[in-house]
Amino acid sequence: MQAVYRRSSVLIALAVILVLIMADHLQSPTFAFNMGRGNVETTLMQQDSTACAPCGAPCPSARE
Amino acid sequence: MSQASTLTPTRQPLQIDRFVVGVALFGLALLGFLIWLETAPFLVVLFAVGTLLGVALYHGAFGFTAGWRNLVTKKRGAGMRAQLLLFALTSLLMVPLLGNNPDDLIGAVAPVGTSLIVGSFIFGVGMQLGGGCGSGTLFTVGSGNIRMVVTLLFFIIGAVIGSIHLPWWLDLPAVDPISLIDGLGIPGAIAAQWLALGAIAWWVTRIERRAHGNVERAEWRFRSGDNGFLRTLLTGRWPFFWAIAVLAIGNTLTLVLGGSPWGITFAFNLWGAKALQAVGVDMSQFEFWTWDYPAMALADSVLVNITSVMNFGLLLGAMLAAGMANRFNEASRTRPQGRQFLAAIVGGLMLGYGARLGFGCNIGALFSGIASASLHGWIWFASAFLGSMMGIRLRPWFRLPN
Repeated sequence: MQAVYRRSSVLIALAVILVLIMADHLQSPTFAFNMGRGNVETTLMQQDSTACAPCGAPCPSARE
Repeated sequence: MSQASTLTPTRQPLQIDRFVVGVALFGLALLGFLIWLETAPFLVVLFAVGTLLGVALYHGAFGFTAGWRNLVTKKRGAGMRAQLLLFALTSLLMVPLLGNNPDDLIGAVAPVGTSLIVGSFIFGVGMQLGGGCGSGTLFTVGSGNIRMVVTLLFFIIGAVIGSIHLPWWLDLPAVDPISLIDGLGIPGAIAAQWLALGAIAWWVTRIERRAHGNVERAEWRFRSGDNGFLRTLLTGRWPFFWAIAVLAIGNTLTLVLGGSPWGITFAFNLWGAKALQAVGVDMSQFEFWTWDYPAMALADSVLVNITSVMNFGLLLGAMLAAGMANRFNEASRTRPQGRQFLAAIVGGLMLGYGARLGFGCNIGALFSGIASASLHGWIWFASAFLGSMMGIRLRPWFRLPN
């Protein structure tokens, strides 16, 4: 089957995603911690057991 | 032509898209290495699980949207029964884990109320207009579908708007999460769910038999067909049951490794919020982003957010599978135009907004919700199905075939 895409488009799209991921990561507390800065709060296990939904929403009964 | 050459089936040589497969493997290796280098081993494993789920969704052609539409328009129920079988199998695996480890594992439970009903209904309409659900959008984007890239973009925008509005919706009538495990115990919750799933399967089968006089049992197909096991495994198309098994085990692994079941759409929220933050918007002015989990995720790297990491794996897994099947970008041979393009925009917005109000998509709320024996998963199912029926009626206006 003849390819219906341009190879350069695929590479550019993936490169843009990688750049965005890296730009986000390089500014993060996790990266700062890995670089030896100790006074940052990292969140390797992002869980909130008090939340009432997977998105972190509070319980209806707890809302004022 | 000799008789032998007419009768003996000749197997086509294996045709894979080497460029796409190569790029996908390189991407998997690079991102996997980054996650390993910068975070923790369990996130690398979850990245691999996400990849496997992407392969299963693509090779199994496991689309929730098409399964629902086939039942409504063609009166064929194999896709729907495959989903019910998936829920049954996964709840059998996950309910005992959740019931026996309430301190370590958190199920996909959520409040039951106005926000859930309205959100899942909107999501159901969006599924049919956008052309996919949460998982469907992601794996079709991974396989190079241009129209679904548009849907994903507006999915993200809709999710961010939904996150800003969610606190208002939460103040409307609702009750706290209702877990069937708490109410009925582990065996009771499994039995009640299997009974309900069996009743729906019976209803679906009845519709199909009445319309066609027979029932396609594709969801029970195990065998790989004429292409042989290994070739089918690598290049598809998988029998439904292979995909069901991988998705059930994948979600259970996600629960065990990550502490909570598989979800997809929170990452869309997060990516959108990070984009706004990057252009100077202070997200902490919105209540949603002050809650502990969203605030934690927003403050740190996407590489430590489980949902994001699994989504990256899923995208690359679907790309790999599409390359192995030599079908990457095939769905984009005809570019969406006019109203089809509009459907991708409207559908994407509805998917995102609905997913946020409904506490997740077909994966986080429906699949993981029912597998966690949470009542909200069932209400999400009913409400989204009604929305999906409305979406199916709207499709012709958008020049989308039913």
